[in-house]
Amino acid sequence: MFDSAVPSSPLKQTVLDDLLISLGQNRTLWAPRTEPDGFCRLQLAREGPLPSQSTLTFIPLKKLLLPPREAVWVHRDGCFHAADEPEPFAVVGVPLCDLQAIWYLDQVFADDVPYRARRAKSLLVGMSCEPGLDCRCDGQLMPLAGDIFIGQERVWAISAAGDALLRESGFSAPVLDVPLPWPEGTAEKRQDLSGEQFYSAADASIWAEEGKRCLSCGACSVVCPTCYCFDMQDEAAVDGTVTRHRIWDNCFFAEHGEVAGGHDFRPGRANRLRFRMEHKFFGFGELRGQNSCVGCGRCRKACPVDIDLDRIAERLIGEAAS
Amino acid sequence: MNEALQPMTAVLEKIVPMVVDNSLFTFLPERSIPVAPGQFVEISIPGVGSFPVSACELVRDSRIVSCIRRTGRVTEALYNREEGDAIGLRGPFGNGFPLELFDEKDALLIAGGLGMAPLRALLHALLDDHKRSGKIVLLYGSREPGALLFYDELVELSRQGRVDVRFSVDFAETLPGPSGGVFCRIGLVSELLSDLDFVPGKTVATVCGPPALYRCVLEELALIGMSAAKIFATLERRMRCGVGECCHCVAGGHYVCKDGPVYSLEQLRCMEGAI
Ligand SMILES: Cc1cc2nc3c(=O)[nH]c(=O)nc-3n(C[C@H](O)[C@H](O)[C@H](O)COP(=O)(O)OP(=O)(O)OC[C@H]3O[C@@H](n4cnc5c(N)ncnc54)[C@H](O)[C@@H]3O)c2cc1C
Ligand code: SF4
Ligand code: SF4
Ligand code: FES
Repeated sequence: MFDSAVPSSPLKQTVLDDLLISLGQNRTLWAPRTEPDGFCRLQLAREGPLPSQSTLTFIPLKKLLLPPREAVWVHRDGCFHAADEPEPFAVVGVPLCDLQAIWYLDQVFADDVPYRARRAKSLLVGMSCEPGLDCRCDGQLMPLAGDIFIGQERVWAISAAGDALLRESGFSAPVLDVPLPWPEGTAEKRQDLSGEQFYSAADASIWAEEGKRCLSCGACSVVCPTCYCFDMQDEAAVDGTVTRHRIWDNCFFAEHGEVAGGHDFRPGRANRLRFRMEHKFFGFGELRGQNSCVGCGRCRKACPVDIDLDRIAERLIGEAAS
Repeated sequence: MNEALQPMTAVLEKIVPMVVDNSLFTFLPERSIPVAPGQFVEISIPGVGSFPVSACELVRDSRIVSCIRRTGRVTEALYNREEGDAIGLRGPFGNGFPLELFDEKDALLIAGGLGMAPLRALLHALLDDHKRSGKIVLLYGSREPGALLFYDELVELSRQGRVDVRFSVDFAETLPGPSGGVFCRIGLVSELLSDLDFVPGKTVATVCGPPALYRCVLEELALIGMSAAKIFATLERRMRCGVGECCHCVAGGHYVCKDGPVYSLEQLRCMEGAI
């Protein structure tokens, strides 16, 4: 459905090599690299060869677009000023599921000036991947964002900027109708949980059980490529300049659902786990109805007690059926 | 510049103490912004933080007037400012009250505590609308007589026969006399409903106060025969951004800051955990 809307042209290795080199010329270039500890992370790609495939990084790319601590304004000499402009950067070797996650964040932050500024300065190059045991991606879940996607035999122009870059580099004019190479077969197919099944099973025993196991550590949200909630924090410098930062927050933290007078709308760990699942699977506001779990499996790797939202979904579906 | 997250400078023009720990603040922002009844703005004190606050008067000549309770860190910092000081302000946010629904109807406003602040802006809008013919009833509950906000103004409106005002208090050593025909009783604000003579099908209700008030009053109004689509309440959440990004205000899948804070009972019934 979404794939055929992305134009592509045949890959030419020499042209591609030149293109990849040119990406790092006036921007910081990041690429995934698996390190001796077994974790794959984005690394500065100044030296060494660029990847020819994508690898899922444990820490998602959102950390570059929504830094854990980011200035949103500065107050100096009695006036509010915009924060500094971000520096341009490119990421090469992004997997398809992460490009979907960026599309989702693009919707959430469509009117957000710092996010838009970072996106305008970013160039995202996807590459095909080898699905791992934890992968449950789905090409039909949502469209992709990013600029270019490099497959084994073709290159796809995802954005207008990507299209321009490919043409400038000497690729032939892209054509529609060749679908993106989503991995097939290996990935586990997730079951569709309907809103009705989710909301009618609010008292299902699984919530008490999983709520008891969940440590409310928030690790799952930190590594999730589509989790984005934040808080604000001011910092005053010696000269009186005040910078307001937005800092990552986490819906597993106890104060997240508190209001004036100390009332807490999500007092228990089960409430908070259920809240995260509601957000992931059903979305909030204008994105209501859009499942934002791209199936990357990071949360399952990060969770110290092996909580798996898809397993909870299966139990809820079973519960609703019985 | 971040249009949504970056405030503009506003001068704190006037501070008028009302009851203990509640003062009326007048802000003059550098650009005029329309803040409709039920909408809110975020007040920023650089170096301390920010908080959402409703307008408690109609915005005329750019000035925004809010009744603010001293309750914590940031409101405390605002109380330490003086007239003439500059602060930060951004908005307006939220949907506001559905004024058009009140056109042909009687208005029943029910306030608990500080809920009187946003309702006062609505009350002013209704009084201002000379085309309206419906009557206005205000039930206002507070902890004690000394905590009733805008007491003199409300008594005066009642005396003029423009608003049927009734107070309730949780406790009182002595009840205020029946001044201006206003009547005050000890008990819950919801108990004032039983003495009321109104036509449910011809009335639009708005309730504003703490969650406990919503739990007892909203469904009771529906039981009396009001349509759930004509009963409104405003939700309070901990708001950080006001523009549907930070997720702090979410209730029943809605960003209360953007889709709300005013919801009908019909909507609230489908919003799990909203009240
Ligand atoms: C739409 C809306 C309209 C409001 N209108 C008014 C008004 O007209 N007048 C008024 O006095 N107050 C109003 N409030 C409540 C006001 O925002 C809080 O009292 C204020 O945020 C407290 O800030 P603080 O830093 O002084 O308190 P804190 O030190 O932060 O905390 C005091 C208490 O308030 C809670 N709290 C903190 N931040 C918020 C927040 N942003 N929203 C809600 N609760 C919070 C804390 O959990 C704590 O229990 C409104 C709130 C909302 C959401
Ligand atoms: S919920 Fe888990 S599997 Fe889904 S996108 Fe987030 S981290 Fe990946
Ligand atoms: S990582 Fe696991 S234990 Fe930690 S908050 Fe998420 S679900 Fe709970
Ligand atoms: S206050 Fe941030 S999403 Fe509503």
